[in-house]
Amino acid sequence: MLLAVVAIAVFLLVEVLPLFWPDGASFPLEALWSSPDVSGEPEYRWLPHRLDDAAVPQASLAPLLWGTLEAAAWALVVAIPLALGAAAHSSLYMSPGLRARLKPTLELMEAMPSVVLGFIAGLALGPWVERHLAQSLSIVVVLPAAVVLLALGYRWLPDRLKAALTLRWAALWLIPCLLLLVWLAMSVAPMWEGWWFDGDLRLWVEESWGLDVQARNALIVGLAMGFAVIPGIYALAEDALSDVPRELAEGAQAMGATRWQTLTRVMLPVALPGVFSAIMIGAGRAVGETMIVLMASGNSALMTASPLDGLRSLASSIAIELPEAAPGGSHYRLLLLAALALFAFTFLVNTLAEVVRARLKRRFTRRKGDA
Amino acid sequence: MKIPGHTAVGMPGKRRTREGPLAWLAAASVALSLIMLGALLVLLSVKGLSNFWPATVHQLTLKGGETVIGVPLETRELPSRQGLERRYLTANRDDGGGIWRWLANDQITEDTTPEDLVVLERRHWGTFFGRLVALQSGDQRLTGPDAWTVLESRLKEINALRDERRRLTHDEILPLIRSMEDQDGHRSEDRRLADLQRRASELQQRMQGDLVVLENGQGRRQEQALAEILEAWRPNAMAWHEKLGHWVRELWQFLSQGPRDANTAGGVWPAIFGTILMVLLMSILVTPFGVLAAVYLNEVAHQGRLTRLVRIGVRNLAGVPSIVYGVFGLGVFVYGIGGSIDRWFFESTLPSPTFGTGGLLWASLTLALLTLPVVIVATEEGLSRIPLHQREGALALGATRFETLTRVVLPMATPAMLTGLILAVARAAGEVAPLMLVGVAKLAPQVPLDGEFPFLHLERKFMHLGYHIYDAAFHSSDVQAAMPLVYATALLLVTVILVLNLTAIFMRHYLRKRHGAPVRR
Repeated sequence: MLLAVVAIAVFLLVEVLPLFWPDGASFPLEALWSSPDVSGEPEYRWLPHRLDDAAVPQASLAPLLWGTLEAAAWALVVAIPLALGAAAHSSLYMSPGLRARLKPTLELMEAMPSVVLGFIAGLALGPWVERHLAQSLSIVVVLPAAVVLLALGYRWLPDRLKAALTLRWAALWLIPCLLLLVWLAMSVAPMWEGWWFDGDLRLWVEESWGLDVQARNALIVGLAMGFAVIPGIYALAEDALSDVPRELAEGAQAMGATRWQTLTRVMLPVALPGVFSAIMIGAGRAVGETMIVLMASGNSALMTASPLDGLRSLASSIAIELPEAAPGGSHYRLLLLAALALFAFTFLVNTLAEVVRARLKRRFTRRKGDA
Repeated sequence: MKIPGHTAVGMPGKRRTREGPLAWLAAASVALSLIMLGALLVLLSVKGLSNFWPATVHQLTLKGGETVIGVPLETRELPSRQGLERRYLTANRDDGGGIWRWLANDQITEDTTPEDLVVLERRHWGTFFGRLVALQSGDQRLTGPDAWTVLESRLKEINALRDERRRLTHDEILPLIRSMEDQDGHRSEDRRLADLQRRASELQQRMQGDLVVLENGQGRRQEQALAEILEAWRPNAMAWHEKLGHWVRELWQFLSQGPRDANTAGGVWPAIFGTILMVLLMSILVTPFGVLAAVYLNEVAHQGRLTRLVRIGVRNLAGVPSIVYGVFGLGVFVYGIGGSIDRWFFESTLPSPTFGTGGLLWASLTLALLTLPVVIVATEEGLSRIPLHQREGALALGATRFETLTRVVLPMATPAMLTGLILAVARAAGEVAPLMLVGVAKLAPQVPLDGEFPFLHLERKFMHLGYHIYDAAFHSSDVQAAMPLVYATALLLVTVILVLNLTAIFMRHYLRKRHGAPVRR
């Protein structure tokens, strides 16, 4: 096994190293991180097809790196709250029977092939959001707010209803509630779009912020990749939380803490390294994900901070360009450099996460042995 | 979780309300994840399966007096926000080019569904909507209801002839030609080939000769050779059970036929076949390695720092992006090993590569490497669940360590290995990115398995369901036309993967029940 890891690393290194030898590359290496001034203003560009005959080589990896990190960041923005929320809920509140069923269900979610996710995000969700910008925004704003209101209003519910709708089963009975809220959010969207944005949010965004809404943008990528990353983060974070010795949680609750207080003040500090490693592994997956980015991002190598623009990542560049690059050429080696970067990043992140997890686990088992 | 000392469930005390809104947000996030998963599955099923249902065809009269025949697909608000417009599939690509039409609702003065509208599935130019005017068979010219009954029966005959001809070409003529290329010309084989070719052209002859006269929405007439038509139906005249039968037939054709019209129509059989074949090869490659590695790690090796390092290596391997495996496969297997094989064994065909290009073998190898950690982790989990006293009992009865391993431990761990293998297969079936580099093809004319020596052609490119989705959705000339098929393919892929995963989950559940929690050592 070590052999396989080493083999991949060695192969990539051997193929990439000639780039850095004198006379190894057919273009100055500064091109990798410079922004040549071709059409009036300096700009980072990725145009590797014209590497050998262009006067100014434009093969900057910067926009690709940026695209990769941007996509991964948005994916984590989507996935972390959902996955950690789900982990907290299922380890503390949920009824054990339901939890035993939830875990395999989320495993199914992880098994969703990324081509299908990318296809849905790029060709169904993306265009829909582009046309229903107000509705989408409305859903994003209304859902959390409504859930908070629900939580505050829960105390005034009649007792019988309260007994039926407990937090133990909240994950199930909240589903119809949320669907209702989604419908509500979508039906009020045209109203506030008319009040505040002159009836067309898209036009308003374009006029006041100068942003053009692309059908395939970083947010869509983030959503689809978040979907793919949620189950992984959830499973590891849940493991970390349920590995916390039960005496700790029970002690805290015996002292009168609510379950949420138990979670934030007692369990989370203990399980923090485990949760952190879960997030790291999720980040590793998001950085290397290919098909979702390839299909949902528009693949334009831009370096803009706007989440509504397209992007292009290292992984998708490799997938598109490598079959056409001549083996041994500069373009080929550049793409292998990109692969090496991906490999090195995920290797570091995973090793770190794994070491943290192993250490945590040993600490808990030792403590159990002492008791 | 039931927590000791907590307020009883039946008594809605004040403590529960004090959990605060964040607890509710956490609950909502579970619900939201489930909703997202459910929505995805529902979307795929509805869009994927409804495509095969014979939709009602409408005849519309527009304000200008123009008649349009089409199937309504989606309704949107007009850009001006005054009223709605609807997209119609009007088909008839040979008649003006486009197959879609947006019509504002207030443009339409009359909307009817006459029973005599026909839908024709053709070999070229896609679908046809319109009316059947006449059927010309030899000197005979049939019109009215007779034409339809004769058309249906003739179509059946022609389809049977077409199947026979396809069988003849694929199973007899092509292999014969290829074998004749290898060993140049025997007289007897020449004669046999001529004979076969005559039979083929005879079949072709019998298919031709009939003409249908069609009329499109605008009343323009056109003639069409009956041999060009694959299928004909009158959706508005069908009862629901006929529609159901048609739906089942279409679904079956989708699963059993090859693609047509640059992957925008037809079926996905070659892609299914390619996926299955590749996954099978991969399983053969990955199982021994994975199981051996897991047995070594868990049973033989000393549980020290090195084993821990190897375990971290395995987890790491699972975390490496799949595209990096693709790059590795391309560089090492295809260009490295494949290139060498070509230089040594296939020098005569160079510079056109045999093994030095992406192919079935390299794809399977790459995916085997990719799924290795899955098998190892699952097998190790199974091994660590086997109670220690089973091993000790075997040893105490005088078995050697090797006998204990092969007779006691491995049989007990077999379901765990199978679970790992199933998970690996599910992962491999859904993985596309590495395949794009090491051997998948947009359209592979030859299936990698046939009746020709050596039967399994490891060097050939193959089609894959996942790549088919990507290709049809992004690289076809008319993406909108390909969409229904892409949805159906995606549904098929997701179904296969979900079934595999569910099997693995149930097996693991059963194992846990039987053996209990893993033994920590």
